[in-house]
Amino acid sequence: MIKKNTSSTTGSQHEILMSEDVSKSYGPRHALQGLTFSLKAGRILGFLGPNGAGKTTSIRILTTMLDPDSGHFVIDGIHSDHPEEIRRRIGVLPESLGFPTQTTGIEYLTFFGQLYGRSRASARELGMALLEDVGLQKRASSLIGTYSHGMKQRLGIARALVNDPTVVFLDEPTLGLDPRAQQELLDLIQRIARGRGTGVILCSHILSEIENICDDVVILNAGQVVARGSVSEVIGRVQRNIMLGNALRVQVPSGFFARAKQTLKASLPHLMKVNPIGEMEGWLRIELVESTDDTQPHLINNIILSALIRARIPVLSFETEGGRLQDVFLRLTEEAIQ
Amino acid sequence: MSNLRVTQGNHHSTLPAWWLVFTQELSDLWIGGKALNLIFIYTLVLAVMVYLYAFNTELSLTPPKEAVYELLKNAMAVSIFIGLIIGSDTLSGDRERNTLESLLLTPVSRRQIVVGKFLMGISAWPVTYVLAIPFMNVLSQGDEVLLPAIFWGFLIGTILVMAFTALGMLASFWSGSNRVSYFTSLGVYILLLIPAELPGSSIGAAGQFLQWINPIASAYHFLSKHLVNYEALSLLWSWLVSPTVFALLLLGLLFLYASPSLRLEPGKTASRWSRKLEQVIGGMALLILVLSIPSTPALAQSQASDLQISIDRSTALVKTGDKVEYNTTVSNHGSQTSPPLIIAMNIVNLDEMGDTVDPEDWAPKRTQYIQSLPPGETTSLHWIINTILDGNYMVYMVLIPAPANNDSTSQAVATSGIHLTIHPFTRLNPGGVLPYAIGAPLIVLVLILFVHRRRNVLIHAGDPFQTFS
Repeated sequence: MIKKNTSSTTGSQHEILMSEDVSKSYGPRHALQGLTFSLKAGRILGFLGPNGAGKTTSIRILTTMLDPDSGHFVIDGIHSDHPEEIRRRIGVLPESLGFPTQTTGIEYLTFFGQLYGRSRASARELGMALLEDVGLQKRASSLIGTYSHGMKQRLGIARALVNDPTVVFLDEPTLGLDPRAQQELLDLIQRIARGRGTGVILCSHILSEIENICDDVVILNAGQVVARGSVSEVIGRVQRNIMLGNALRVQVPSGFFARAKQTLKASLPHLMKVNPIGEMEGWLRIELVESTDDTQPHLINNIILSALIRARIPVLSFETEGGRLQDVFLRLTEEAIQ
Repeated sequence: MSNLRVTQGNHHSTLPAWWLVFTQELSDLWIGGKALNLIFIYTLVLAVMVYLYAFNTELSLTPPKEAVYELLKNAMAVSIFIGLIIGSDTLSGDRERNTLESLLLTPVSRRQIVVGKFLMGISAWPVTYVLAIPFMNVLSQGDEVLLPAIFWGFLIGTILVMAFTALGMLASFWSGSNRVSYFTSLGVYILLLIPAELPGSSIGAAGQFLQWINPIASAYHFLSKHLVNYEALSLLWSWLVSPTVFALLLLGLLFLYASPSLRLEPGKTASRWSRKLEQVIGGMALLILVLSIPSTPALAQSQASDLQISIDRSTALVKTGDKVEYNTTVSNHGSQTSPPLIIAMNIVNLDEMGDTVDPEDWAPKRTQYIQSLPPGETTSLHWIINTILDGNYMVYMVLIPAPANNDSTSQAVATSGIHLTIHPFTRLNPGGVLPYAIGAPLIVLVLILFVHRRRNVLIHAGDPFQTFS
């Protein structure tokens, strides 16, 4: 058995991916401008950005599918001038990965194992081990055409690991999966990073999953990096720059929705706006237009909670706007657009 | 859970990547059923054709040589079509199915990927050809045409199938979807096939040139003249130039120009240099084709002299479809070198009520020329007649000295005749044809079912590896 990295993520970590000022244009449009970031072994880096921000272009460049116009990157000590060598060291799960439907899972992995220079027997042995790792060992001899979407995603991840890569790129791996399958896949991704010491770059639109499993984050907007660093650093940096506590969110059962709204308006006269959040069912957004003279801003949370409790309204959830990665993302991308 | 760590060991593969791609693609193509389905359709086409030759009143009279040639022509046309369809699906199909990226993400060179897919694309040809041989055998009825037909059909078919598979792959290389790829490659194929199939399309110098430059028409012409009309290979080689150049050009484009820059998006990155290179390659292709046009020997005019012609045969008793061969001897008994000489074959139907004979249909070379004959010299010429219709005929030869100028004429000299008695051709035995017409598609159908069943059994048994081991 080889062990890519038996040390845990708390051990000494070295940079396995360094991107330096990478840019790409399509005619007059700048798809990517000066992408600079690094990734350490055993860490998961979330790659965020709205549609058209340059995520796909970045991934395509870093996986050698596209040539950058300028800049360079280094993966596991290999410069981007040697794409074939880079490809030996990376594993990729593209956003839209197709599979031959008339091939079985084990045949598929054996084929790719052989392409990376293994003998048939060795590639098959590896394929079986990987299928076991991703929980598909019982379906090894089934045609891929009979796999569910989640199983195909797991097979895709197994394929991305056949060359024992230093860096794994996962582009929207949980797209189209049900919540259970999403969680299983996220667990698997964490095991890849923590267990093997592989660096993982995770592209996703689901900000909560980035927040939950990523160590670092790069936020792209209009082809430019608007934030990078560890998740807590990025959230903290943005929180300092926005008016923390200016808005709150509270979640109540749907039957108490109207009463909660009334209670909040009556108990705090300086509250100017209480509105439901369209995309978050059961949530109310409480926007404080101005602070009271005699109330410290951090005590407003207590006042609101007390009012709801006194009115016997169950509070399911309560949070300050700006404290989540989603808020940071929305704020940063909104600012950049403006 | 094995903590996502894998066994490595010293088990390095010695197999080249193109071979791995080829075998994987081959498995998809054949076990997936696409190739077998296409071959099933192919055997149906051949079966219907042979059935018609056996049971249709008029077609059953077709001489064996011509029937074999027609079957070979159709077998090649359908095989080219199969290669084209498979080739057109390779790269653009992978783009559509999102299976190309995972291949491109491996350290395998782009050219090796293309080579593997190309070999898969032509893999149906040997099978289709082997399937055509029993059909050709039954149509040949023991005629000597069978072996040359098998040899030349395989050689020319291989050239054309390789060329059109490469064409399909090139269309696929520059297309983002199969629809575009199929439309482009099939469009080119039909444009080349239609003139080759239309009778009389090669009339005139321009028609001859178009026929020569068209790789399919040119190949058909070669096969027709050599297999049916017995023309010597030395006179026909130029008809192989066009298919060969066409194949070399497309293979060169595919492997040397396109494949190294295979990428996820259709086509190549359009740089100024690549556009220039495309123009140069296009220009060179045209130049090669134009320069390869066979030169037509100029005919000179001269005067007549004292000349004689004789024939070495007086009778022949044959059946329709047989070949009659004979020689003529031309002698110059004069004291001066002869002018250019023209020797022409004539065939006359002795039955007053019989059909008028068109000698062009009967002889691959009805007229031959001698540049000049020195005094006292003798020369011999070889002639072949294909017996088309039954009946009583007289074949005779005429020697015509070329007139000196527009205002003069010359005295023709005729030989004695060959009395040609032709009996009707024995029709194809329907009973002998039916086993092939029914059996071949049935065998392929059984094979399709067997492959599917075997595959399912192995998958349920948990060992799909036995399929190709």
